[in-house]
Amino acid sequence: MWVCIYIYIYIYIYIYIYTHTHTYTCVCVHILLLFFIFFGGGGGQVKHTEGQFPSTRALSCPQYRNTASEILKKKKKLESIVLPCKPIFSVDIHPDGTKFATGGQGEDSGKVMIWNMAPVLRDEDEKNENIPKMLCQMDNHLACVNCVRWSNNGLYLASGGDDKLVMVWKRAAFIGPSTVFGSSSKLANVEQWRCVTILRNHTGDVMDVAWSPHDVWLASCSVDNTIVIWNARKFPEMVTCLRGHTGLVKGLTWDPVGKYVASQADDHSLRVWRTMDWQMEANITKPFSECGGTTHVLRLSWSPDGQYLVSAHAMNNSGPTAQIVERGGWKTNMDFVGHRKAVTVVKFNPKIFKKKQKNGSAPKPGCPYCCCAVGSKDRSLSVWLTSLKRPLVVIHDLFDKSIMDISWTLTGLGMLVCSMDGTVAYLDFSLDELGDPLNEEEKNSIHQNIYGKSLAITSTEAQLSTTIIENPEMLKYQQERQSSAQLGPSSAGPEASAPKLNSVMNGESLEDIRKNLLKKQVETRTPDGRRRITPLCIAQLDTGDFSPALFNSAPILPSGSSMSNQLTSQLSSDSSPGPASSLGLRPGHDPMLTSPPAGAATKGPEDNKDGYEGPPTSPAVLCLRATEPLVIFWFSPSPQSEVRSAAHFRLQDRAHEGVGLQVHGEAKDDTSSDSEDKMASINKNLSFSKRKPELLMDGDGVVEKRKKGRPRKDKMAAPMAQPFMQVAMTPPAEREPSRVAAPPAALKLPTPSIKKAFSLQVSMEPSVFLEVENEVSLIAGSKLSQLRCSRDGRDWNTLLPSSVVTAAGSSDVLAVACQDRMLSVFSSCGRRLLPAIQLATPASALHCSAHFVMALTAGATLSVWDVHKQKALVKNESLLSILSGADTTVSQSLLTQQGVPVIGLSNGKCYCFSSSLETWTLIADKGDSMVQCADFRSCLPTHDAPVSSGPLAVIVHLDVSEIAGRLASRLSSTPHHLQQSMTLAFLENQLASALTLQSAQEYRYWLLIYARFLVNEGSEHRLRELCQELLGPVHKSAATAWEPTTLGLRKRELLREVLPVIVENLRFQRLFTEYQDQLELLRNK
Amino acid sequence: MAKVQVLNVAVLDNPSPFGNPFQFEITFECMEDLPEDLEWKIIYVGSAESEEYDQVLDSVLVGPVPAGRHMFVFQVSKLWYVWKSFSMPKKT
Repeated sequence: MWVCIYIYIYIYIYIYIYTHTHTYTCVCVHILLLFFIFFGGGGGQVKHTEGQFPSTRALSCPQYRNTASEILKKKKKLESIVLPCKPIFSVDIHPDGTKFATGGQGEDSGKVMIWNMAPVLRDEDEKNENIPKMLCQMDNHLACVNCVRWSNNGLYLASGGDDKLVMVWKRAAFIGPSTVFGSSSKLANVEQWRCVTILRNHTGDVMDVAWSPHDVWLASCSVDNTIVIWNARKFPEMVTCLRGHTGLVKGLTWDPVGKYVASQADDHSLRVWRTMDWQMEANITKPFSECGGTTHVLRLSWSPDGQYLVSAHAMNNSGPTAQIVERGGWKTNMDFVGHRKAVTVVKFNPKIFKKKQKNGSAPKPGCPYCCCAVGSKDRSLSVWLTSLKRPLVVIHDLFDKSIMDISWTLTGLGMLVCSMDGTVAYLDFSLDELGDPLNEEEKNSIHQNIYGKSLAITSTEAQLSTTIIENPEMLKYQQERQSSAQLGPSSAGPEASAPKLNSVMNGESLEDIRKNLLKKQVETRTPDGRRRITPLCIAQLDTGDFSPALFNSAPILPSGSSMSNQLTSQLSSDSSPGPASSLGLRPGHDPMLTSPPAGAATKGPEDNKDGYEGPPTSPAVLCLRATEPLVIFWFSPSPQSEVRSAAHFRLQDRAHEGVGLQVHGEAKDDTSSDSEDKMASINKNLSFSKRKPELLMDGDGVVEKRKKGRPRKDKMAAPMAQPFMQVAMTPPAEREPSRVAAPPAALKLPTPSIKKAFSLQVSMEPSVFLEVENEVSLIAGSKLSQLRCSRDGRDWNTLLPSSVVTAAGSSDVLAVACQDRMLSVFSSCGRRLLPAIQLATPASALHCSAHFVMALTAGATLSVWDVHKQKALVKNESLLSILSGADTTVSQSLLTQQGVPVIGLSNGKCYCFSSSLETWTLIADKGDSMVQCADFRSCLPTHDAPVSSGPLAVIVHLDVSEIAGRLASRLSSTPHHLQQSMTLAFLENQLASALTLQSAQEYRYWLLIYARFLVNEGSEHRLRELCQELLGPVHKSAATAWEPTTLGLRKRELLREVLPVIVENLRFQRLFTEYQDQLELLRNK
Repeated sequence: MAKVQVLNVAVLDNPSPFGNPFQFEITFECMEDLPEDLEWKIIYVGSAESEEYDQVLDSVLVGPVPAGRHMFVFQVSKLWYVWKSFSMPKKT
């Protein structure tokens, strides 16, 4: 329960200003105490602390005499948020300036509060009862909150506290206003902020947190003497832990260009760390040697131009100072002097200023300068301009206790200061006082001049905002873009000024829900007679995913068990209730079955009559997983094989009973016979499951058995979404490590060992299973092997004269390689398509895809045949040329749907054999630094789903979020132009690889990224060449060799897709017009 | 931080006749899907000094609980049960 009381107190501050004319002028500064907000302890009583506010004193210290030429005649508003006796340790203004966060001590926990900025800025908003002052408060921290910081994009709020945790908050958009615990009706939290991740690593109180430029990392420092760098794109991943301080680390700041992070600690040192290799760049101790560890925080700050780092508490001639550290050489020649007690916080204004041009006076080329606020334990605040030798203004006794934190608004004209005494003050400045702020463009050009690159990724728009649009088409595109851009933030933006308090959920207001809750509530009984209530879900959780699921071969499931929960509840609603019968598989005596996922699956929720439906199962979630190698259909594990996942599945055809699903695990030290014994025991365990619907899962996904019959189509269909199959072969090198050691000169590739029997699934849709049993029957002394295949329930079998070594198949063809080096190819119905092919050496790996068959032999030769045309695409091509290194081996081989063979080597290189060029081409190299340095994040399409299943994506395994982390470190170290060329090279490489792999979708995808990159970076020549290539000759002539299509995509259609991308940069509007017109011309023809 | 946070407990039907069941409207939030039910108890705290005098008046299971914000009304099902626990203090 909280009550607001507004008290207006006018206090006059007398500030002596020492002007140029050497006279003392007395200036009155109104301080308007806008309001106090009192927080009662929940009992609703009003606490009155009037008169608590400090009286103000004249500035007497001679060092503080202000030399500002302009007279400060400014009404300053002071807002005070009083939590009786509860210190506020941190304050931070949201980048959009509409709200700010405070962190401090709550009643019995840490408290993070988010406040509306509008009442602070405007009197009328403050008086308006309908405008909420507090937006949200979060009591989740178990102990005092020492620091709150908004991310630069404003989406997240990070808070660190004495409970050793860093919490990251995100606004929950889909949850309406809620109440504060204990209050029955009054709505308190206008906005909902939810903790999306908790970062645990520190073993002591977290003192400061800081987001890096571009929000790539989050740094936190703690009294455990460490600094932890978190990957802000993949929470809670830790990038590194910086050790070296020997005292409590109490402050952090990032270099605005992202090259360094600096920390200050109680061990009398300030350390600067490189972000490139996370090593210490400098350790500055001299100015701090006299310092005592008396301050709660040491918040240092880096100037916006990156040239100066200003420390908190330092000493100079036994007087407290704020040390200025120069970037070049980390020299410590200057300091801010004057405070009587230790400096706790330094905060640079985010803007760079230049001297205000006076009317009438001739424009002087003024040097840009920065503005810095320094707060101290002596309760005073000083604001300095780097162009002046004296402070711009000093305000004494602003608070009762030490100043703890300062935050500037992004405009640079407002500042919030918080104090240990539980109050926050707002100060605002005018342009006359600070000067003219440089705009972003000018700031970038300063960065560009100093560091050779600018921070802004797309600075082109700002520069071209004044360019006239010449073409109506262009105008149309631009308007569309603008309208969509406006739609975005306005829908997501906070309606802080007047949020609706009675929000409506699911068409019903919260009040309605509450009225009928008891009547509508579903209550059931569990078998042991206990009551069980199904809660009413009033809001879904929008999980804040940090990872921008791009290229991810592994999908981010919203939460691990959502699927199981939903499926079990669906299943159990019609099966008899009770945990015992909910599922077929129980963690029994067999240790292999006690894998955690299986155990989790058994404990499903019991009976559920109202049929709770979770979010619909999306097949996509399952299908994405399929990019993991489908090695799960091994029958008996080979001795050396590693445990790949906790449980592997085997699907066995039973024509009459339908498909029974069995599970067996592989233990690391299994021998074959051993594992077969286990198989038997598992089969026994599972025997009852054949009658009941069952559900099994492992960490990767869910396999569900239908009540009657075959695997569910929709799930099985999913993996077919990928254009090729990567079936059944563990990489030979992995499986047979003993043979890898064989001398590479022999170029012997390992061959799979002959097994008694094995089975594999060769295709999902239609589902085709292959079973091989070697040496089944003896006829006239010769052993025959049996090959059985089932396709959609119909099966066929055939006999082979020799033991089958390996087999592969696609939906069209099946291929088996025998011990006698014979390769047989069958159609899907068991018809032999080709006479047996004699291989020169035994087969090492076999792949089928569509109607192509690929064989990799032990003699390191590769062949690909087109079965339909009965033609060889690749003929006994030797791998000699690519297996050049000392111990490189084949780690991966696959065949794309278009019949292009791809060989992955253990040294990270991937080659494909181009049959048109008749040579090996390098399509990917994991060790290539270009891949790691390429920065095309800004060019990624926002609406297009990334192609995650194409062959190129599988081969290259791009994980953008990971790259983002890596590249950002390079970003700072590599000059911009170098980075640009590297990205360009990488993109062109991708494009060419997609072309060679004949992967049309990926070609289109990379083409658009490439085009966007060219547009952003302004490479007109390349862009023109690209467009020309896509457009082709407008007038047909017999001499031109231009193909109208590439990989089955019409080039001109591609151009039509590229053109809207070009529009994004107005500089290319002539280019756009040119090609747009030509396309129109061609269309009309 | 816990997976489940109690956001609010509102006492309904307050004040009410002696014979009416207690009703508590409970709002809670769950950070992730819970595989098992939550158990809620209404405990009569006989003495603030010691847990010895705590008496469980009623308990229910609540589930399934997917991630999100949920609400339910906990109504003490049988008052005789309450009465019994009042009249027969737990022996230790």
